[in-house]
Formats: sequence, C-alpha cells, structure tokens
Amino acid sequence: MVSTAVVKGSEKNHVREIVVVGGVRTPMGKAGGAFEYLSAVDLGVLAVREILARLPVSKDAVDAVIIGNVIQPAEATNIARVIALMAGVSRAVPAHTVHRNCASGMQAVTDAAEKIMVGRAEVVLAGGVESMTHAPLLFHDEFRRAMSQLPRARTVMKKLSVFVDIAKAPWKPRVSLIEGLTDPTIGMGMGDTAENLARDFSITRKEQDAFALSSHQRAAKAWEDGWYDAEVMHMFVPPHYADVFVDEGIRASQSMEALAKLRPAFDRKLGTVTAGNSSQLTDGACMLLLTHREKAEAEGWPILGYLHDWAYSGCDPSRMGLGPVFSMHKVMRQAGLNMADVQRVEINEAFAVQVLACQKALSSASFAKKHLGLEQPLGAVAEERLNVHGGAVAMGHPVGMSGTRLIYTLLRQLQHEQAGLGLATLCIGGGQGGAVLLGSESWKS
Amino acid sequence: MEVVTLNREQQDKDVATLIFSRSDKSVNVLDEICIEQFEACLEQLEKDTPDVLLLRSGIEGCFIAGADLDLIAAVSDVREAIALARRGQAVCHRLENLTCVSIAVVEGACMGGGLEVALACDHILAVQHAKTRLALPEIKIGIHPGFGGCVRLPKRIGWLKAVDMILSGRAVDAKQAGRSKLASLVCFPEQVEPAVASLAQKGKKKPVKVQPLWMVLPPLRWIFFQQVEKKVSQKIPHVDLLEAYPSIPATIHLLNTTFGKPDSVAYALEAESLGRMAVTPTCKNLIRVFHLGGALKKQEAVKRGRNWVSGVGKTSVFGAGVMGSGIAWVAARNSDVDLHDVAAQAVTKGLSSLASLRLRDVRRFNRIRPVLDRSGLAASDVVIEAVLEDIKIKKALWKDVETVVRDDALLLTNTSSLSVSAMQQRRQHPERIAGMHFFNPAPKMPLVEVIAGKRTAPEVVDQVCALAAAWGKFPVITSDSPGFFVNRCLMPYMVAALRWLEEGQKPEHIDGTLKVFGMPMGALELADRVGLDICMHVGNHLGEALNPERYAMPEWLSRMVADGCLGEKSGAGFFMYQGKKQQGLNPKLASYVPVVSVAEHQLSQEGLDSDIGVSIEPVTTRVLVHGCLIPMLIEALQCLQEGVIEDAQHMDAAFVYGIGFPPFRGGLLRYFATQARDRLIFDIEAMGYAVPENMEVLDAFTR
Repeated sequence: MVSTAVVKGSEKNHVREIVVVGGVRTPMGKAGGAFEYLSAVDLGVLAVREILARLPVSKDAVDAVIIGNVIQPAEATNIARVIALMAGVSRAVPAHTVHRNCASGMQAVTDAAEKIMVGRAEVVLAGGVESMTHAPLLFHDEFRRAMSQLPRARTVMKKLSVFVDIAKAPWKPRVSLIEGLTDPTIGMGMGDTAENLARDFSITRKEQDAFALSSHQRAAKAWEDGWYDAEVMHMFVPPHYADVFVDEGIRASQSMEALAKLRPAFDRKLGTVTAGNSSQLTDGACMLLLTHREKAEAEGWPILGYLHDWAYSGCDPSRMGLGPVFSMHKVMRQAGLNMADVQRVEINEAFAVQVLACQKALSSASFAKKHLGLEQPLGAVAEERLNVHGGAVAMGHPVGMSGTRLIYTLLRQLQHEQAGLGLATLCIGGGQGGAVLLGSESWKS
Repeated sequence: MEVVTLNREQQDKDVATLIFSRSDKSVNVLDEICIEQFEACLEQLEKDTPDVLLLRSGIEGCFIAGADLDLIAAVSDVREAIALARRGQAVCHRLENLTCVSIAVVEGACMGGGLEVALACDHILAVQHAKTRLALPEIKIGIHPGFGGCVRLPKRIGWLKAVDMILSGRAVDAKQAGRSKLASLVCFPEQVEPAVASLAQKGKKKPVKVQPLWMVLPPLRWIFFQQVEKKVSQKIPHVDLLEAYPSIPATIHLLNTTFGKPDSVAYALEAESLGRMAVTPTCKNLIRVFHLGGALKKQEAVKRGRNWVSGVGKTSVFGAGVMGSGIAWVAARNSDVDLHDVAAQAVTKGLSSLASLRLRDVRRFNRIRPVLDRSGLAASDVVIEAVLEDIKIKKALWKDVETVVRDDALLLTNTSSLSVSAMQQRRQHPERIAGMHFFNPAPKMPLVEVIAGKRTAPEVVDQVCALAAAWGKFPVITSDSPGFFVNRCLMPYMVAALRWLEEGQKPEHIDGTLKVFGMPMGALELADRVGLDICMHVGNHLGEALNPERYAMPEWLSRMVADGCLGEKSGAGFFMYQGKKQQGLNPKLASYVPVVSVAEHQLSQEGLDSDIGVSIEPVTTRVLVHGCLIPMLIEALQCLQEGVIEDAQHMDAAFVYGIGFPPFRGGLLRYFATQARDRLIFDIEAMGYAVPENMEVLDAFTR
C-alpha cells in the first residue's frame, strides 16, 4: 500500500498528503425514534446539503462521491448516487457505494483518500449513512419462489396449485436487521462473538457496565460542555419538524443499578452482554470533504486535519471484536510508531466488552507473541486518551456511518487539543478490523 | 398572412396535414383570420377527402392556445356571442364529419378552443413535451366551453372526469391525458410517425356508451349533479354564485340538460348558454384581471432583469416565522434556499406552517435548508429578511449580514411599514438594498410590492421585479412611502369597519356582508388574523406620517390590545379562535365597544326580550360595503396623485392579487368605475370626505 509514511526520501515530495477540509454529521436517532420518517437517503441528502453549504467549497469542485452504507435500501440500490443527485451534486460527478459492514463509512473515506493520492480525483465527498429503522422485513425464500410461479401459471388449475404453494410457504417475515448482524460463516450473532470475548478475557458484567456508564457520562458531559455543537447539525424532522440536535441514546442519569437490572441480551441465562452495555441501534449520517494539501492551500480552504495512513486486517470471525488490535498493529507498523506516539484513540464501542477485550489483548504479552509475533505487547490505551467524548454505547452505532464519525470526531479532538496523532479504529463483523492514523499536523513538518 | 396551411402527401396512404402556424404571435389562437382559413381548408377537404388528416402546429410548445380572449372580451351582445359559438361549433362539426380518420397531434399547449378542435378529431395523439398541457380553462374567465367541448368531452373521458375538468379548468399533461383516455395514444416526439400510423390503422372513432353507466338513471344523475353543485358552492362560500360566477351554475345546468339529448340540440343549448355568459360583467372582469396579471409579469422592469435572474443560485431568508418560511417556499421554486433563524422553535413553527398549507412538492420543500448558525451566507445571491418589524433589529441584521455576503448580492427587506430609505442609511451597499413586500400567506398570495429606497440602484429594482416574476409572483413597483400601496389602502378599510362596529352594526353582519360582496374574509376577521396589536401599530404609524383622521384608531381598540385581545394569536379578538379556526363572537367584546352592547344584540336575537338594548337596524349591503370601500378608493386615488404607484391599472391588480379583492368585480377601481358616478360622488360627500380631484382616472376603468 502506498502511503505517506512508507515512502521515503525524495519520492516523499510527490505523494499527496490527504487532508479533510471539514465535515458534518446528523445527530444519531434511536431506531424507530426521532428519524422514523426519514430514510437513509433523506439522512444522507440532508448531511450532504449541509456540508456543501457550510464549507467554502463549491459543489462544482467535487470530483466524486463515495458513501458507505450497510443496509442498502431496495429502492436506492446505489445509495451514494441517489443521495448525490438529490442533494444537488452535479450529474457529471460519479458516485458509488461501498460496503465493509461496520467499517463502510471508514472504507468510503480511505477509498476517497486513495483516489486522491494516486491523482484520480482532487476533491472527494465521502461519508456514511445508515437507517437501521428501515431495515426491511423479508419473505422466506420458499415464499418468494412460490410467488414467482404466479405469473407463469396460465391455466386456472395451475394458478390454483400455485396459490396452494403460496399458502403453504412460510409466511413469517425474516428480520433483516437480525440476520444482517449474524455471521453466516460461523452462524453466530455479533452478540455471541462479544460473549466469546467476555469468556476469553474473563471480563465481568460489572466491568462492562462500568464502561457503559462511563460512556454515557462522557457523552453527556461533552454535550453539556458544547463539544458537539459544531460537529452536529440541527435536524427539523417531519412530521412535526421538531428540532433534533442531541444524540437520542444518551442517558445522563444512567446508573450502575439501572444497568445491573437488564437481562443479558444474547446468552439469556448466563451471559454478560446486555442492551445496556452494547452499542445502540441508531440512524444517522456523517459526511467529510477530502482533498490533498496543495489543493486546499491553493484554494484557501481550511484544513481540519490529515489522514496519514490506514490499514484493514482480518481475524477470527468468532472474535471479530479484536479486529482493532490487529489493524492498529498493522497501521502502527506501517508508520513506524509506538502506542506512546498516539495521543488520542477512538475504538468504536460495538460492545463494552469488546473494547475492554481489545485493551486486555493490547497489554497482553502472550497475545502479542501468539497473534502479532511481537516480543513486547503494544500496550493498552490510557483511559483518558480513549473515547474521551463517549462512544457508541451511549450515542449509537449506525453501522454504515460510524467509521466516518470516528474519523471526524477524532480529527476535531486533535485539532482542538493540537494533540498530534490519533487512531480511529473499529471492529468489523465477519472478523476484520480497520484503523486510520490521523493527525492535526502535516506528517512532513 | 397564411395561418392555416394544408399539405397533401401521397405515400401508401393519402395523408393531408393541416398546419396551424402564425408569424405575428408566439401562440396559435382561434381568431377571425384563423377560423376563416380553417373553414376554407375544410371546404377543400370535404371536396377531396384524404385517407388520413393530421392537425399539427408549426409553433414549438403550442398546439392551439384557445380562442382569442380579445374576441370574447369585445362581445357585447348575446346574439353576437351565440353566433361566435355557432361558428366554432360548425367548424368542429365539419371536422368531425369528415369521412377520413382525423388525428390531432398535440405537442404543447392545447387549451380551450384548441382542445375542442382536437376533441372533434377521431384521435388525440399527446406528444410528451414540457409544455404539453390540455385543458378547458374557460370557467376561469367566466364562461364555459362553447365549441362543443361540453358535449364531446364527457363522451370521450366519461362524465366524472369531464365535469371535473370543465368546472375546475385544470390542465393535464400528456401522460395524464393518456391515462384518462382523453388522448388515444401518448408518445415521445421521435415516435410521432409510427404513432400516427398506428392510430390511422385504428380507423374512425366508434360511438361510445355513457360512462359511467349509472348516469343514464335520472335519479342517480340528479344526485350526482346535486353533489357537484354542493361541492362547488363549498369551495366558493358566501357569495351568490348566480351573481358572482354565473358560469358555474350555468355550466352545471348545461351539462345536466344536454345529457342524452341529440347532438344538434345539445350544441344549440351550449351556444345559447355561452352567449348569455359571454356578456356578463363577470366574464369581462375576469378577462380583465387575467390581463392585469399578465401585464405585471411582462412589464419592462421584469424583462430588463430577466438575464440576471437566470444566474441566481442561492437565496437566504432571515426569520423562519410564518412569513419567512412562506417566502422560503416561494424562493425554492427555482433555487436552493437557506432559512435562517436564531431560534430552533421558530424554524419548527415555520416549517410546520408550510406543511399545513399542504404544498405537495416534496422536492421543493427539500430545497429549504434550515440554518441556525448563519452558515452559507457567503454563497447567497439574494438575502431576504422577514424578521421582526423593528427598524433597529433590521438595521442590526443588515449590519451583520453585509460583512459576510458577496458585494453583488441583493439585500431585500420584507417590511410592510418601515422605510427602505431609512434602512439604507450607513450601509456599505445601500444601492443593493430594496424592499420586497410579500402578502400572507406568501405561497398563495400572488402579489409582491417592490420598493425602491432613495439610494436603490435602478437595475436592482429590475432584478427584484424579475426575481418576483421568476418565483411566479406579480411584482408591482411602489415608492418608498409609509405603508407602500396595499397596506396603506387597507388600513382605512379596516378603520371604516371599526366605525361600523361603533355605530352599532353587529360584527357578524359587517364581516358577513363583506364576504357576500366577495372579499375573502371580513375586515374584522382580517384584523384578528393580522393581529390587533399590529393593526394598531401600523394604523398609528400611518396616521402620524400621512393623515391622522383616516387612520384614527378608536381608543377602545387600544384597551383590547392592552388586555391581550390580540386576535388569532391570543385566541380572542373580535372573534374567538381555536388554532386557526374561527369560533364565534368574543363575548367580552361588549365591554370594549361603546354605543352598542353586543350582548344585548345577542339577547334580542334570541328573542328573549326584543325591546331591551339599543336596537339598530342593520344597514343594507350596499351602504355597508361602500362605507368600507370608499375610504380605500380615496386612499388609492391619493396614492396615484402622490405617485406611490405609477400605473393606475396596477392598482387594481394589487387589490385583486394582494388582498383578494373579488376578481369577478375586476378590481376596486373597476368596481367603482362601473357604478353611477353622481351617486358615488354623493356617497363620498355623505360620508364627509372631500371628493378626490383625480376622479376622472376612473374613466379609464369603464372599458
């Protein structure tokens, strides 16, 4: 992979440095909640319209639109194109949708960066959208087959027999949301993989709940302090056009007692993972505008931060939650960095236990030796550097959007703190991890 | 001049093409010259009939736009009008009776008489084009189709759709025409040739059964027309339809009586009815109003500014209240709009008020972006403010905005009473500041007052006018004087209504009479809807600046305002309100209005004791209405003298499109121009006013 970090010497000057001009995200609404009447397309259109209006970049300057989306709506199969056109991006600008499960939003951004890097685009609008509310109900395949016979049945008798077939086929709808969160290669739900981690690393229910509580408290405080005011846009949502601004899932009054009352959500009897210490099903959209440094400087556009490097890696699907460990290792190796060089880290909180397991794996010498081939462990991320403004347990994890959100919110933190380097990483259903190395300053300087 | 040409072509079939095309106008109309040549062509065709006859237009985007409006406007005699209809009917009849297959290739506007000609053909081929519209809009000018449309349309598309199309005047596009069977076939422009061939194959139109079949049963038919009549009168309440819009009951009656009659009788009835309608003042007035609107849209200023408008990319509107969001909707017609406000609640309110207007265009709605952080201003070509009516707030806003917006952006203020010139003081770009006054509700009211301040550049005025026209509004240029034109004339009207109240007329009687006259709402209700506090404020403001006497607000009104009776927004004014709905008289009104106590009036109404209380006879409609309208007329004439508005004709347009003065009366000045002049002068003097010096202006309104 070509990246600024691995290119040495005189060549370095020819490689474009990828910068983010700016971004915007919608608040995250609970599935079936605030955004019940907005489709994924609507959310995306509103976010694209907003970012184009907020940034000093004319929409004619955009060369491509790339959007990540997991539950791709049947009525907008290439959702990126639909969003781009409806938001007023020129018809001449191509748009495509990318899919890497929970990292779709990250994939869109890194794809955009790679496009710019090799000179195939100057300015790319990249982001992620998700409406988990609108995950469809599906018919059983036998039902579909029986229905598809209907137009072919010409005689009355044949028609009758097809109707009998339809009546006999299973009518119970399949919930695509549940099926989508299940890994078909191992037959395990994402929650079950989280339970695996809890057992592997002996992480108790209490530890998980404490982490969840802290996520809520951090998010609530960040909102209270106004940290998110500039990051999130106001949404006036039909049917009543009420103002939606704050992420809907945050419970400032969350307590350990309340969390302790919840029943395990996946392993109903002996499990430790509950709805309270898992990420929430939510809807949302996040958009970033990417270009390279020379372009931004020439046009006089602001620079929110830099994308230095990125990596995706695979791991055991039944322990997909450890994905961040592998991808962080990969990207740091590429860049020649240690954990100490990284000032801020955002690990997506798919499950509280999954973040805690990553932390344990990062600090475990035996894990480092066995899985990463290292003599020394990478080292856990200090708590005050990790997910400082709360994470998906409190705010939600709209699967296609989270990857973009992590990059955006981390870039804002780095710019605000002038903190140097940051890592945004997440675990990916199917046994993968993705990590992006970000910075507030140019790599060269 | 050749308007109708006949081409013959001998391929495998003998095809004749009638082409309507004229060089003197941008559209085809059925006027004298056109009909004459049409008749000549028909004569040829009758002698030597081809296999297939095509009717086409040589003008892009227009098939035939209808009969010549001026022709109808000029008719003064019933017999003359009947003859006109008869002639058109005869042409259509001859066309229908040709033994060949006739096909009307409709690409572009096909209105009124044009559609009636097309209906006389065996087939209508609707070609998809942005301008393809088929309609019988005669009802909108106070008549009904007269070239056989009332007879042929029900046969073609069935009674239910036909009655709706004739009574609403609604247009359908090519696809809709295909769906309703009005067009036998719909095609793209490239497919005309095969489409014509396929229709020619189909042959002559076959006689059709009544659609729907139950219409043949007289009781059901009777119920149907009863329902139609009921629905129409619900849509236009209060006024007497026979007087105001006689063509509506006449059309319903005509459709009812022609049912099942032989064609010749039906056509005779249609012609006769049309003759009667064409000479009604309503017809003349509606045509007049139509022209008034057209004149505003085509005025010189609009033409000059048109080039600039095509480049407008984004509009920013400040103030997301009902007015601001309404303006945002208007502006979203052809560009992106940022709707700015400081409070999220205001945006919520504004957007819901837009949603409650049931405006169907979702895409247009999506072009409105609510903004709370003032982003996106630098990219705006036009900034309109509709914030609180306070010069300090407005000036502060402009001061902030002018530092952010581009140097060539228009800065427009939607004020109803503040001075634009005052707003220009100490601004960086006063030449780009102008007034653009919308009427409530902005999405529905067609008028926009365009106000130039002292230092407004002339090209800016042109640009604002063109902008209004591009947004589908009628711009009227007024000078920067207090109240501009419409509000200045409206205030004396409201004050007059308050006087009637003082003199003991019941509020329901005042409002009811004005509504029967045709005003969209009564003067007192209007005051309630506007807000009594705002009425007070505007009245006092105008009084100070102009003529205290005509704007003098009664003292008891200020007590009402002080007690929080503000009208609709506080739930009680002259009437009670629940949400937007009027709920009946405010019971506390009696304690404010002197001379007459409303409660006593109500008592006597209930017949408990008719001797109690001051019993004042309700004045007649004429006296009451003139009592309210004459002050408005005097004010309008005064405005003309002061040069507030330059073109006298524009005043009538302003009254009709800005305050909803009944269009069937043709406008305020037109209305008074048609009254006996000496009686009018007598009335003016009786009311204690000086007779305006420029009364002769009215002479121009009699024609």
